Amino acid sequence: MCEVTGCLSMGEDGRVGVFVCECGGNISNEVDVEAVCKAAQGWDGIIVAKSCPYLCSKPGLDLIQSLVKRHNLNRIVIAACTPRMHQATFARAMKNFGLNPFLLENVNLREQCSWSSSGGKDAATRKAISLVRGGVERVRHLEPLESSWLDVEQRFLIIGGGIAGITTALELANQGYQTYLVEREPSIGGHMAQFGKVFPTMDCAQCILTPRMVEVGRNPNIKLMTSTEVVSITGGPGKYHVKLFRKPRGVDPEKCTTCGACSKVCEVEVPNEFNMGLDKRKASYLMFPQSVPLVYTIDFGHCTKCGKCAKVCPRKAIDLQDEGKFVEVDVGAIIVATGFELIDLSKFEEYGLGVHKNVITALHLERLLSPFGPTGGYLRRPSDGGDVKKIAYVLCAGSRDLNRGVPYCSRVCCMYSMKQAQVILDAFLDTQVTLFYVDIRSFGRGFEEFYQRAQEKGVKFVRGRVSEIQEGDSDGRLIVRAEDTLLGVPVEDEFDLVVLCPALVPSQGTTQIAEKLSVPLGEDGFLMEKHPKLDPVNSLREAIYVGGCILGPKDIRDTVSEALGAAAKGSTFVKAGKIELSPEKASVNKELCNGCGDCAKICPFEAITVVDGRAVVDSLKCLGCGACVPECKVNALTLHNSTDQQLFGLIQGVLAEKTDAPVALAFLDYDIAYNAADLIGLARIKYPENVRIIRVPTTARLGKKHILYAFAMGADGMFLGDAHMGAGPLSKASKITEKRLTEISEALDNSGIDSLRLWFSAVYIPDFRKLASTFTNFVSTIAEMGAIDENVRRKILKEIGPTP
Amino acid sequence: MSVRRETVDLSKADLDFLKKIVESGGEKILLCVQCGTCSGGCPAGRRTAYRTRQVVRRSLTGLKDSVLSSQDIWLCSTCYTCLERCPRGINVTDVILILRNLAVQAGFMLKSHKDVCTYLLRTGHAVPITDKYKALRKELKLPELPPTAHSYPDAVDEIRRIASKTGFDKLVGFEG
Repeated sequence: MCEVTGCLSMGEDGRVGVFVCECGGNISNEVDVEAVCKAAQGWDGIIVAKSCPYLCSKPGLDLIQSLVKRHNLNRIVIAACTPRMHQATFARAMKNFGLNPFLLENVNLREQCSWSSSGGKDAATRKAISLVRGGVERVRHLEPLESSWLDVEQRFLIIGGGIAGITTALELANQGYQTYLVEREPSIGGHMAQFGKVFPTMDCAQCILTPRMVEVGRNPNIKLMTSTEVVSITGGPGKYHVKLFRKPRGVDPEKCTTCGACSKVCEVEVPNEFNMGLDKRKASYLMFPQSVPLVYTIDFGHCTKCGKCAKVCPRKAIDLQDEGKFVEVDVGAIIVATGFELIDLSKFEEYGLGVHKNVITALHLERLLSPFGPTGGYLRRPSDGGDVKKIAYVLCAGSRDLNRGVPYCSRVCCMYSMKQAQVILDAFLDTQVTLFYVDIRSFGRGFEEFYQRAQEKGVKFVRGRVSEIQEGDSDGRLIVRAEDTLLGVPVEDEFDLVVLCPALVPSQGTTQIAEKLSVPLGEDGFLMEKHPKLDPVNSLREAIYVGGCILGPKDIRDTVSEALGAAAKGSTFVKAGKIELSPEKASVNKELCNGCGDCAKICPFEAITVVDGRAVVDSLKCLGCGACVPECKVNALTLHNSTDQQLFGLIQGVLAEKTDAPVALAFLDYDIAYNAADLIGLARIKYPENVRIIRVPTTARLGKKHILYAFAMGADGMFLGDAHMGAGPLSKASKITEKRLTEISEALDNSGIDSLRLWFSAVYIPDFRKLASTFTNFVSTIAEMGAIDENVRRKILKEIGPTP
Repeated sequence: MSVRRETVDLSKADLDFLKKIVESGGEKILLCVQCGTCSGGCPAGRRTAYRTRQVVRRSLTGLKDSVLSSQDIWLCSTCYTCLERCPRGINVTDVILILRNLAVQAGFMLKSHKDVCTYLLRTGHAVPITDKYKALRKELKLPELPPTAHSYPDAVDEIRRIASKTGFDKLVGFEG
């Protein structure tokens, strides 16, 4: 019997071991781990409580194993870093100890306690004891669970046909896997196809890229789908169901021989995107001469449907009525490589991009230097086609800019500007190139040597960020002003051409696809990796891998390395053939179910149907959000590994250690809000330690009785944090919580608890700093309200009646 | 010209000076990367010896006397161009105003500024009315003096009382 409520049964056979990790000081510098062990030893049913410098290390796991054996432990509480980090490690270890991996509770003492508590060691230790107590009270009620298995589709979807997507596709196809490579443009190649030479080797981008593009087109294992967009992705790891839309392209790729007759007769001219708008193309066009597939495309956005092209096509390959088509595929894993784009510099008025014709970006310059570019490789001024003798480069245009740009360094600009400078100095006599830089970052293999070569060739370096660019009095020449910070004087010079090196930002495709896949983005807008160091090409969703500039700016070599890594990760996953399906799903007690169908109505994933007067859960569709459980009036539903008993135990445990300060419970969904709370710790942002975080699959798992129970047991405030709509696979569940809030708030008011003590917030991972300040504000709001009267608590407890 | 140049002894740098700037609302200067965007685009720096970036650099280094005693901080015209363009979002102009306050407190103030303040304490106006404008007002059929301290000499006394209570009169060398 529980000493507090008298209503929760103890695990009868529970022999619990508590292990507290020091994490090499990460925890023990802020939390007195011995005090935590000592407290735990005093709790009912705790056979042993021990600390260890590194629980996740071999000696740590050996220690656990020896104590499991010696004391015949059957349930384990690990108090260490976030479960996102090592729960899997400990679950595997449980199996080795001969224990069911679901009889484990991983209490978060690092990200959500030692790294984020603002009140000093005593306070952090108090918080740690409460959190561990919660874990202990939950572990008593855990049930052994078995996973089921799903056959993994032996196919891949790769989104994005730049060098990253191309590399991954070839790698997987060569391993024998069928691979769908999807690209929204008419040709693969991505940005690399626009480049001339590449640093630091100065080999030609086309010469190394084109053979791989051709190989993609030829490989029988690769189904290349250009002019195609991803519409939706459903299902889960092992079997993602993907709906694609092949946009109308008006040309039958089987028939087109690339004779170009259609383009010759086409009368519509539009700016050529591939050449950065420096010349025109027709509405019937080939993106660039080496396009793969080598097929013309009708740009229906501009086509007038005059029909001339269809008439002249010798193969009758043109169909101006093409409406595109939807294609559906099932794949085992997805690799996303949607790359980057350049920041819009229109806010930087002092550069005059788009106003002064001779101010261009470095990508424009790549096209100007290309033999098949708008000038045939001859460097001409965009304003009048005149000669270019003096060129200035503006580095850090929008990068490292907290004011109007992006805070990060774009990593490639130093190197590519030196590359372009050398190409120019090599190819055109009597030219002068000046680089205005803030810091030269030449950190890769062969990069510093490359910098030295640029110096030897006579590239001028001025250390100073360009302050303004103005047109001179005559013929479009530009006056650039900066401070030469090493001389300490403002300098001014006249140039024919000014090349801006804009920050690299996530491509539009990246943002869109992240939303469709429900994979979170980082604070910088790039996709977030599962672990920034150790899982750099995994997204936060299983069997969705990423590589290249979707993860942040990088050069071709790094992009290719990541693409190879993503292929390896994907192949390891698919090769296993089977995937373990989590048993953390809803199930129905047929004896109790009355077939009312309320659960089926609320399920956001259409996983429940009523068959023969009883609810049935499709465990493939059920994502374990738990929204159905509180909805059932006859308690017929259970969410495994998040049962009412476990939840009540956890709540009671976390609140068991009384303190003077008001206590706020924060229920956070495990995917997003809990993750954001981990990031707060990782960034060492502090908030009051009387915020106690409880992880739930989603906040929709919680009903009125959980909230009332928590207030009855001693909480003074309750914070529900759940995924912002679209921020995670389970984010639909947060809408359900929002709806339930009205009813819950009413119940609180009726019980004499100010409903302002209950907060709900939609959380978006990049906004984790906001979550920290919300915690702080929340605690001060509750503190102002003061503690809840004990009589009110007792009354509620009586009203709820016996909890399971 | 001297061939001597002293080494700056960094152990004598006054880091409390930097702390003071930070605490007065200039905390963003800690983010400065010395890119020179401020100096390069400074309209005042085009015509004068004013080098914004160097003022920030010397402040960050804790070279209190050199910053506060130099004329540089008085050459800024507070046009806010640097603040708009600064990639680190530093409120450069505000920092200059903070430095001016510190300079004045440390006894560094240009004679012309003192003169303007003296006008204020003497007449209630930093720029008092002249005969020319008196005539112009008359021509426009306005009272010769505007309804300001010029018309209410008691107000000037009040200004002086405030100045004497705050010590402003001594700071600017006003002797009644």
